[in-house]
Amino acid sequence: MTNPVSRREFLNLLGAYGGTSAVLRAGAALGFMPSSSQAAEISLRANNGKKVAILGTGISALTTAWELTKAGYDCTLLEASHRPGGRMFTVRAGTVIDEIGNYQRCEWDDDPHLYFNAGAARIPSIHSSVLKYCKELEVELQVFVNESKTAWVQDDALNGGKPVRNTDYSSSMQGFVSEMLAKSLGNSEVNSSLTESESETLLGMLRSFGDLNEDMLYKGSVRAGYGSGGFLDHGTKKDVIALRDLLKTRLARNVMVTTQEGTGSGPLLMQPVGGMDRIIYAFANRLGNRIKFRAPVTEVMVKDDGVEVAYEQNGVTELLKADYCFNCIPSHLMSGIPNNFPTEYTEALNYIRRGKAYKAAFQAKERFWEKENIYGGITWVNAPIQQIWYPPHNIHGKKGVVLAAYNFGGANYTEMSQEDRIEDLLKHGEKVHPNYRQMAEKPMTIAWHRMNHMLGCAPRWARNRGGWSEKEEQMYETLRQPVNGRHYLIGDQSTQHSAWMESAIQSAHYALADLDQRVRSEPA
Amino acid sequence: MKKLLTATTLILSALCLPAVQAAEGDVGVEAAMDDRYCTTCHGVEGIGNMAVEAPRLAGMESWYLKRQLENFRAGIRGTHEQDTQGIAMRPMATKLSGESIEDIVAWVGSWEYVPAQATIEGDINQGRSAFQSCAACHGANAEGNEALGAPALAGQNDWYMVTQLKNFRAGFRGAHPEDTYGSQMLSMSKALGDDRAVINVVSYINTLVK
Repeated sequence: MTNPVSRREFLNLLGAYGGTSAVLRAGAALGFMPSSSQAAEISLRANNGKKVAILGTGISALTTAWELTKAGYDCTLLEASHRPGGRMFTVRAGTVIDEIGNYQRCEWDDDPHLYFNAGAARIPSIHSSVLKYCKELEVELQVFVNESKTAWVQDDALNGGKPVRNTDYSSSMQGFVSEMLAKSLGNSEVNSSLTESESETLLGMLRSFGDLNEDMLYKGSVRAGYGSGGFLDHGTKKDVIALRDLLKTRLARNVMVTTQEGTGSGPLLMQPVGGMDRIIYAFANRLGNRIKFRAPVTEVMVKDDGVEVAYEQNGVTELLKADYCFNCIPSHLMSGIPNNFPTEYTEALNYIRRGKAYKAAFQAKERFWEKENIYGGITWVNAPIQQIWYPPHNIHGKKGVVLAAYNFGGANYTEMSQEDRIEDLLKHGEKVHPNYRQMAEKPMTIAWHRMNHMLGCAPRWARNRGGWSEKEEQMYETLRQPVNGRHYLIGDQSTQHSAWMESAIQSAHYALADLDQRVRSEPA
Repeated sequence: MKKLLTATTLILSALCLPAVQAAEGDVGVEAAMDDRYCTTCHGVEGIGNMAVEAPRLAGMESWYLKRQLENFRAGIRGTHEQDTQGIAMRPMATKLSGESIEDIVAWVGSWEYVPAQATIEGDINQGRSAFQSCAACHGANAEGNEALGAPALAGQNDWYMVTQLKNFRAGFRGAHPEDTYGSQMLSMSKALGDDRAVINVVSYINTLVK
């Protein structure tokens, strides 16, 4: 082969001419991006009743308790809230959202299809540990539709503020990007890096990727749907959205990358039938009265031979003495709980910042989106509500729950009153769906920054966009080591990929493996 | 052996459970919720929480706490757009009834005063001389003076006092026309020339015991 191009060179070329999303797509195809993973096999040595205190009932805590209980450990879980699950929280008829200063009780119709996953909501195919427990605990799963090309893109700066179909936007963007890349292949610098055959292959792909015409120009595509006809009569193409118009919105960065599997946002995701908390209750129901609710931890003292945890229940302070402790209490809350952790451990705990996230949802009187040929997926809005999700389950049913806002930075919703939050989601939503306001029943909102016993969403480690600093890596390692071989910090705060159930479960597996090794090495 | 048998029994009985039970209410029961949320942010028995920037309440005078809760509720405090921490606090107070405030004040009053640990290091000598003007209202040992409406400072989280002094100096706190005591503090805080002076005076307060 003459003039060979390494994979890295090829990606750099694409980076120079095609931008980051092209590199990401190509990277995935070439195997640089995360692909499949295998769930760890947990095989703990059977134990004759060593006592374990588990603080919190997030999925890392429940995983720990389940595995240890199966191996014969004597587990007690202390949960400050009235419910298990932490940020795996499903809202349905009767659910209380215990947000400080904004208590809400859900009064939607009592129907198994009508729920809102207020925290974790999607399971990617590569999150093998989550899937492993769903299988083991018989949690029924269904497909979650993460991207619908018939959903909308709305930005006041685009198309006079009128929403544009995702497919109109993305087909045109794909067309123009392909056209530019094809032109750039005429550039001698790029061309000289490729053999003739490679160039031909690339051009062929670009022609197909962008639906370019014989002159390698984008002149519209029926991929965006037909302007007219298309079934009994020949279909006509819709008008092309000019590149300059496409660039009036910055939503392209969202619209064009919804289907990147590596970050957990693939086209095919999953959800438990009936709500994400089915996973939580599958664990919790099996653990039964090992879980103590409304039992906030008031002190954690690591001793030479174990851990002593004080907690409050029914106004009385109780002491739980255990051989080991697994703790998934958010680090920023541990900062307000007396403990005797080493200084560097405390410093690391205090370093992690609490993430902000805001979600809202309402029960829709009718499944109005289906009348617009939408059966799932995400509408992107250039406003703080950011996203509108349509339920992919119970198609053609009577009602459905629409996710009406998902802001991962939280915006200023934390400080807004419930009335203002609702007006905000209606005001922006009706730019997309004219009958939105009339369709919305009993909106519910959740600002994780203000949730009781939580005060935050996914933990944030790195302070700089460029990645983790050396100091941050060191602090992370400090927290991964058990204090005195007795106290383990678990949860997505103890991982380098927060906000995912998979990470939380793997943090539990990591700690369990360490514990098992210690127990096995103890003198018989 | 008995324990092992128990564990085995557990697993077997667990496997017999239906895969999915009705979620809410099975293992967690909603009880009447009061407004005693303070410890989530302010720490166990109000010891303060640096990670969420919520100051110590343990040992705070009842009259001062009541005034601040009422100020937050009325928008006299926590409404300036630069008062990040005050803005975070305000929604917690807006829904409180007079009765709830009384209940919270009594609850907080039941917590033991334990001085906070120092987290900053400034020039204590410089701070001591700057503190003379503070002492007129807050007391020579920063023990507070109810008659003048000046709270105790000794034992309070130093990071909190630094933030508040900076906020007073910048007019983020105390600028509301109805914030009588805050406006006094706003003008007094101008005596501290810069952020360094703030650190120094708070470092000195760290040496005082209520």
